[in-house]
Amino acid sequence: MGESVDLIIESIPQILMGLGLTLELLFLSGILGLMLAITVLLMRISGNPLLTWPAMIYIYIFRGTPILIQIFIIYYGLSQFEWIRESILWTLLREPFGCGILALTLNTGAYVSEILRGGVLGVDRGLLEAGSALGLSKRHRFIYITTPIAVRLAIPAYSNDVISLMKSTALVSTITLLDMMGYARIVYAETYAPYEVFTSLMVIYLIITWIIQRAFGLFEKRMSRHIRK
Amino acid sequence: MEALTGWWDEFFWGSVVVVEVFFVALILMVLFGLLGAAAKLSDNKLAQKIASGYTIVFRGTPEILVLLLFYFGSAIALTSIAQIFDPEIKYVDIPPFWAGSFAIALIVGSYATETFRGAFQGVDPGQVEAARALGLSNFKTFIYIKTPAMWRLALPPFGNHMLSLIKDTALISVIGLEETVFIAEQATGTTGEPFTMFFLVGLIYLLFSTIITLSVMVLEKYSNKHLEVSN
Repeated sequence: MGESVDLIIESIPQILMGLGLTLELLFLSGILGLMLAITVLLMRISGNPLLTWPAMIYIYIFRGTPILIQIFIIYYGLSQFEWIRESILWTLLREPFGCGILALTLNTGAYVSEILRGGVLGVDRGLLEAGSALGLSKRHRFIYITTPIAVRLAIPAYSNDVISLMKSTALVSTITLLDMMGYARIVYAETYAPYEVFTSLMVIYLIITWIIQRAFGLFEKRMSRHIRK
Repeated sequence: MEALTGWWDEFFWGSVVVVEVFFVALILMVLFGLLGAAAKLSDNKLAQKIASGYTIVFRGTPEILVLLLFYFGSAIALTSIAQIFDPEIKYVDIPPFWAGSFAIALIVGSYATETFRGAFQGVDPGQVEAARALGLSNFKTFIYIKTPAMWRLALPPFGNHMLSLIKDTALISVIGLEETVFIAEQATGTTGEPFTMFFLVGLIYLLFSTIITLSVMVLEKYSNKHLEVSN
């Protein structure tokens, strides 16, 4: 028993060496993914088939395949093509970090754009009609009425997606990156103590999940303060 | 495309493994989900605590971590048990097929727990009261009234759980299950065409996802058909 405690105490600092990379992947691909999601959402609701169709195909492909395979296609697959290796993109795609960010961004972008679309569709029609009765243009209605309400409606689902993005970052350990999962696998290979090493890591992930949930909970409370009164 | 010559059979059998894992995990997932929901809805404080611990842990940690913990952890436990009977034994493990199916079923089951709990709570209490008034026993009320009504509410999120399940099967290649990703890695080794191989795996999964999505649409239509008539 004492041996296990020692192992846990020894392995936690080693695992935490990967915390920086895990958070970096989470924030970078989270922000880039959100920007991508907004772009795709605007394409999807534009009413122009030339924009709607590519958006729908993108969402269909990235939500219909496992993220692990998306990571492998980008990291291992793209190097098969000579023109990619000679293009400027190769500086990004040569590094596992760039591939990880690209895969996570494309994956979360597809899910988040559907979440945001749910928020937009949830906006009460009556409010938009009131907006046009007041003489607001279509663009102004979207910016001042649809957006704030859609954001509030989308927060709970979005916070779940940030948590799944955080969980997906653990998969970059399969393409040699040393995030927390990557370090935990090294420590496991040295100690053969799966319970101690992996349970310690589990606790660390649970703490991050809890922080994400709490932060979004507070944000949602703030966004819906007019309803509470 | 020529690179795929000779590999089609392998990919076919890999896909069969994916389907097998999917169905085994699906049954287990429904079981874990129903048990979890029953525990959360029971009056027993301990059962409620265990069930909420279950959903917090498995919804908040990466799938690959659960998978590795489960596979390597069970190997250590089994090996030490086996060594009690025969000190000669060096290593015993649960086959990746079973360890993997069990692990992904536990993960998705934690999401299904919340789905089933919400769906049971969403059943109209008037219907349950009507069943009581008609003299149906608790068991019959559960089977004939609550379950069909719950099922209709649970179906849309349940479809998403099935999609998560099929996509999580890809992870089991990490512990050495010979499914499509594993085969794509082998094929890449001999042909040097990683894109072709992983792209094919992507297409296989896209096909499975599409089949699941379409089946859920059909099921939803079927389970809501009494509502369409009234419209």
